[in-house]
Amino acid sequence: MTARTISFYGPFRRKPALGDWLVLTAIIVVAVMAAFPLVWMVLASLETPAETMRTPPVWFPATPNLNAYGQVAGVIDAGRSFINSAIVATVTTAGILLTSLLAGFAFAKYEFRGRSWLFAAVIATMFLPPIITLIPLYRLVGYLHIDGNLAGVIVPNLANAFGIFLMRQFIRGVPNELIDAARIDGASELRVVFSVVAPSVVPAIAALALFAFVYHWNSYLWPLTVLEGNTSQYPIVISLSRLLSYNRGAMNTGLVMAGATMAVLPPVILFVILQRFFVDSIVNTGVKG
Amino acid sequence: MQKFMLVIGLALALAPSAALADTTNISFLTHWAPDTVAKLEAAAAVYSKQHPDVKVTVRAVPFGDLLTTLRASGGGADGATIAGIYNAWLPDLAKDKLLAPIPDAMGTEVKADWPAGIVGASSANGVLYGFPNEIDLYALNYNKKLFDAAGIKVPPKTWDELTADAKLLTDKSAGKQGFGLINSWTAGVIHPFASLLASDGGALVGPDGKPTLDSDASKETFALYESLIKNGYSDPTMGTSNANTTGPFLDNFVSGKTGMIIMANWWESALKSGMGSNFADVATAPIPMGPHGDKPHSISYSWMTVVNAKASDAEQKAAWDFLGWLDGPTSGPNGGSAMGDILISMGILPSRTSDAKAFADKLADPFLKAYLDEVPDAVPFPVVLGGQEFSESLQQHIEAVQFGKESAADAASNAQADAADILTRAAQ
Amino acid sequence: MAAIPNTALLPRKRESLLLGWASGPRNRDSRSRGNDAVNKSTHRLRAAPSIVVMLGPALLLLGIFVVIPMLLTIWLSFQNWSSETGFDTAHFVGLSNFQEIFGRASVGRDFKNALVNTALYTGGSVVLLLPLSVLFGLLVYQDRVRGGVILRTILFSTYMVPMIAVALVFSKLYAPADGPLNEILGAFGLPGSAWLSSPDTALGSVVLLNVWQQVGYFTVLAVAGLTQIPGSVYEAAAIDGAHAIQRFFGITLPLLRRTLLFSAVIAVINAVQVFEPVALITQGGPVGATNVLTYHIRRVGIERSEGGLGSAMAVTLMLALIVMIVALFALARRGGDEA
Repeated sequence: MTARTISFYGPFRRKPALGDWLVLTAIIVVAVMAAFPLVWMVLASLETPAETMRTPPVWFPATPNLNAYGQVAGVIDAGRSFINSAIVATVTTAGILLTSLLAGFAFAKYEFRGRSWLFAAVIATMFLPPIITLIPLYRLVGYLHIDGNLAGVIVPNLANAFGIFLMRQFIRGVPNELIDAARIDGASELRVVFSVVAPSVVPAIAALALFAFVYHWNSYLWPLTVLEGNTSQYPIVISLSRLLSYNRGAMNTGLVMAGATMAVLPPVILFVILQRFFVDSIVNTGVKG
Repeated sequence: MQKFMLVIGLALALAPSAALADTTNISFLTHWAPDTVAKLEAAAAVYSKQHPDVKVTVRAVPFGDLLTTLRASGGGADGATIAGIYNAWLPDLAKDKLLAPIPDAMGTEVKADWPAGIVGASSANGVLYGFPNEIDLYALNYNKKLFDAAGIKVPPKTWDELTADAKLLTDKSAGKQGFGLINSWTAGVIHPFASLLASDGGALVGPDGKPTLDSDASKETFALYESLIKNGYSDPTMGTSNANTTGPFLDNFVSGKTGMIIMANWWESALKSGMGSNFADVATAPIPMGPHGDKPHSISYSWMTVVNAKASDAEQKAAWDFLGWLDGPTSGPNGGSAMGDILISMGILPSRTSDAKAFADKLADPFLKAYLDEVPDAVPFPVVLGGQEFSESLQQHIEAVQFGKESAADAASNAQADAADILTRAAQ
Repeated sequence: MAAIPNTALLPRKRESLLLGWASGPRNRDSRSRGNDAVNKSTHRLRAAPSIVVMLGPALLLLGIFVVIPMLLTIWLSFQNWSSETGFDTAHFVGLSNFQEIFGRASVGRDFKNALVNTALYTGGSVVLLLPLSVLFGLLVYQDRVRGGVILRTILFSTYMVPMIAVALVFSKLYAPADGPLNEILGAFGLPGSAWLSSPDTALGSVVLLNVWQQVGYFTVLAVAGLTQIPGSVYEAAAIDGAHAIQRFFGITLPLLRRTLLFSAVIAVINAVQVFEPVALITQGGPVGATNVLTYHIRRVGIERSEGGLGSAMAVTLMLALIVMIVALFALARRGGDEA
């Protein structure tokens, strides 16, 4: 057995060529540009109210302090609001994943009359901006007596055309051989979906889970309308907005920044957890028989 | 038979107490910030102790979304029983029969203890729809330190003086503008304009309800804006308002880059918090008069509380009783009202005469003096059907002049044409 | 395992115009081509009840909570209705709402302005988002240099920040005169901009903000698409002597077609429906330069309570979107990837 030298190239995986340096530079530049406003937000949360109203804007707080964090938790019921956000985001995401997977599979792999038109109709439901269906939907939800609480926030969003579209896209790339093999082995259709199709499109599922969670975590207009002013049910983004009244808005900027910094954490944590699923691609391995 | 009599007897015996045990639940919709909501809830708790059969819940929405919430609730029975509304929204709500007129006895009280202009602004078609609460006005805010540096001794009283002072205060190389004009926020654009217009003997809308935006006074006001911009005494990029009335227009005044600006009384706490000890440099003065003005006039606008006409009779009665107490002289300190107390805590002016007396010491703030002096001569912003659209159209024309997209003369005639069309359409 | 027939020889299934878009380039993707025909018979045996189970939940939910409000909106576009009242107060006015929004009075002028602004905003956003997402996706996905994972986290984090905070941060970054962005530009010798404070630059500033916020989202999509390209294809190309640029345009881009079309559709829909940045930062100004359709619809349909007009605007928007998306699909199809 010959000895192998293991070389360490720092950020590179092998001896860097010019192209590698270019790539490294590009990565750093893009990361800095993207992170800049985020860093700004965190810095602003450490400023005093006076510093947030300075022009030219202050880059670094003179005496960074965590006052805003302590205050914001007390002024709005931050703990409760975070729990509300978590409930809304998790339950809605679970529902979207389930309905999109099933429907996406049907659209991708089933033959039936009118399939194209039905799918087009599903896509068309994405075309109307939520703002215009706000009032009719709100009245409908009131008629169903789920207004005023989190159920009214969650239920209308349990199916999502975007999710169906995404799943159909990726499921189309799943080899039919895989599916047929499972069927021949006696699997029911549902089992086919969960045991064969879902593992094959894990990156898409992870992506959809992430998108749906983040979207509903930060969702504003619909929860606000449906919750009818019940502040105890407000998700965190709405509670933060309450701080920006016309006579207090300027002074509460730091509080909102602090609250937002905290509000970003759960989605970020979810992202870090789901990261590895973006890399796996069982489709590549496919069927080798 | 005996059992039957027993049941009847029990029912009769329990009936009165059953009626007492019925609590009426009413809700109060507001856009106030959390700390102020806490005060309102405290007041409601006091009331409930005195009236155990009424429970008041506060529904709070973020400031920018109050109107959307009001509209979406469709005035149904589920909608809030009481709502705090901006008076400009009154005509639409009244036209759609969503508001209950104030009971006669209370109406008499309001007419007695509130200035006539405010009572008028809280009425539609002569019907009074609730209790007015806050009043807001505009005054000239200026930086004394910058005045001293420029050698200006007294704040400008006329438009000519305003222009002259603005010239002295402008220093492009130091990024300083003499006079701040606001853009990208409806109230910030049209209210100062309307105040200057009123101080030139003009009006936005005539007594017959028709717009008068191409009157001489109006043309002069547009021309004033145009000349301030053209001469560089006012820089529109320094006047932008971003999220929720914060932004460059505020930051620039706070940081001593704007010499003078016409703004409302309620930004005092923002100035204090932003300027710290430098707040001592801020002073206020009446709106400068135009060449044809008789005296300085500020525009005023107000808020009021209304009651949902679709709520049940019991709920409406409970709501009026609560409001009568909340806005009355028994609920707050010194013969003032609890509502007045809440408003003062926000740095906002209560409009009730007895409140002005009860809270006189808190209102004795030098910053507020110019505003309070203007109250008797204040001109209420027109409360008309289509008022929202009218305001936004006017805003666009004023901003067009600010950014040099429209000449003052064109802006006046175009604004008039649009306004005439909007108001006639809305009145149908 | 039973032998699987050579499906490469079976005819390809035709799809409708709407759906005849990228299912992969011709001759390169042997997976779904023709397979459907083989499986048709086995499908039908179990298809009917399975279809109900599969499609039922989604269609029911969408039907109740999306389609019904949508139909209501279409109905309302022909009515005169005050949004704060019940639907019973609506009365029929035929096409007059549509006539008004396309008319010459301020209603029509503002609507046309909103349409133009929305078109500019959409065009600007999509033109920037798609290429950047592919570029960043490649940076994230490559394995020559470490840091792809960190980059992906940072990029996606921009999408996770609540809009209210984004609004406040950018209103500071965009401060004219000596704001941070202008200072940075100055450091490179470039002139500063008025950003949100001028009608000429405000819309572009909002586009940039939107691109910053969403590029991470589209990068994740692009990466998901990149992972679906088998490494063997690249190896074969490398053996044939193709270099990086050739590999990109010859392999990567065509195989990303499906993902790119998907991203384009979503980017267009998102851009056309932009609401929060405008509502929170510019309120449509200055001088209506950032007045986009959805914000205008809220202003007219909800705040001014003119429900019929708002609905008519929304229906017009929906029709415009349908046309745009169909065009997108047709364009992709004509990109030559299938019969």
